[in-house]
Amino acid sequence: MIRLVTLSDYDPKQMEKLCGLLYAAFGVGCEHSKRVHPPSGAEPYDANKLLTQVETVRAYSDDKLLYLTAARLKDRPLPSGTAPTSGYAWYGRDRALVSTHGMKILEENLKLVARHSLHQLGHTWELHHCLDPRCSMYLPWTPSFSGGDAIFCVFCREKSEQKIRLAKS
Amino acid sequence: MGMPETVPQFSLSVGDRVVYPNQGVCRVSAVEAKEVAGQTLTFVTMKREEDGAVVMVPQAKVHSIGLRRVASPQDVNKVFAFLKSDSDRANLDWKQRARTNLDRMSSGGIMGLAEVVKGLQVLSELRPLPTKERELYDNARHLLVSEMAASLGVTDCDAEDAIDLLLFPPGRERPKRTAEEFKRPAAEGEEDALDLSDALLGGDLELSSEAEDTEEVSEEASEIEAEQPKRGAPSKRAARPAKVASSKTKAKLAKPAKAHKVSKPVGRARAKPVAKKKR
Repeated sequence: MIRLVTLSDYDPKQMEKLCGLLYAAFGVGCEHSKRVHPPSGAEPYDANKLLTQVETVRAYSDDKLLYLTAARLKDRPLPSGTAPTSGYAWYGRDRALVSTHGMKILEENLKLVARHSLHQLGHTWELHHCLDPRCSMYLPWTPSFSGGDAIFCVFCREKSEQKIRLAKS
Repeated sequence: MGMPETVPQFSLSVGDRVVYPNQGVCRVSAVEAKEVAGQTLTFVTMKREEDGAVVMVPQAKVHSIGLRRVASPQDVNKVFAFLKSDSDRANLDWKQRARTNLDRMSSGGIMGLAEVVKGLQVLSELRPLPTKERELYDNARHLLVSEMAASLGVTDCDAEDAIDLLLFPPGRERPKRTAEEFKRPAAEGEEDALDLSDALLGGDLELSSEAEDTEEVSEEASEIEAEQPKRGAPSKRAARPAKVASSKTKAKLAKPAKAHKVSKPVGRARAKPVAKKKR
């Protein structure tokens, strides 16, 4: 199950819609579980540190926690450059984080938030970046990413379904 | 492209991190002697870090299976330099490509993995990858990411982003390539140095809809029309029994050939909207 945990105040109706989109993409139940407070610290947050420090919610071992925050995330300095960071995930594990910073009206940007959520949740199911620009696992820093739908390509969808099946068994 | 890398001789001890070709990063958990069929053999027991799978290898076979140490940060820097470079020629002969990629995966080291990833990524800018190669691309990417993460001591997500910052620089779209860009100079007397048939490009694409089928046929036909005036004799493709079957495609064939038809936008053939599922 996907558990949506908010670190900022969001409209419950929008959260419900987001859960619906995630359910449609993964075929796994999704619910808005809790509103928690972010750990103390100044913005922008270090995404990995935030995921480590943030309060958890009670979940089963195969549950995935998606944290949603309106705060800005710090771009990550990597050996090959600086990675623009609008979300982060623990690959193959249980936590993902998406920032809605810069999206003033969530309703208008719900598709984009869902696409980012799919991308980060995909990482928790061991999906890598995809070559298909229409897939949600495509590179999030490309200009066309924001224009796409919250969908997976055939390959990524089949892989995620396989991982979900394995987790259930 | 240098390959394959030679595997240096090394001794293994408990706690060492090694890479098992095509399996990923493992940690040596024991080196012990066991009696098998009356013979005493020394086995190296390893645990795959990703999922804890245990594998035992006779010490004598460690080198022959291609077991190697995790790449050093210097090796990773070389990989970054390679990914950043302009070596963007993809081999269009699918047989050669498959053979080379298999060698790279099993004995090419971390650079071999990078070569597979980059080669297939470049090829995907010409046309979508066939299923088998898409799987190979995903496997190579997975092994590269996990080894790089182990080598640099970063998370898998950071390692993958570090690779993709070079392969897909921020703010830019992926280029759309044409077959012309991959063309190699033909040797004299060589009739068809670059036969861009479906077979050579690995054309078992998943084209499901009728619209996509007809588009491909019309594209092929337009290529035939474009080729015939250039060459004296009819090409192999022209001689092949045409796939043309429906009236729609016949109507399309009547249209003049378009030069830009050769390059298709990446991924057009594959993505389908996700169907809503109900459990």
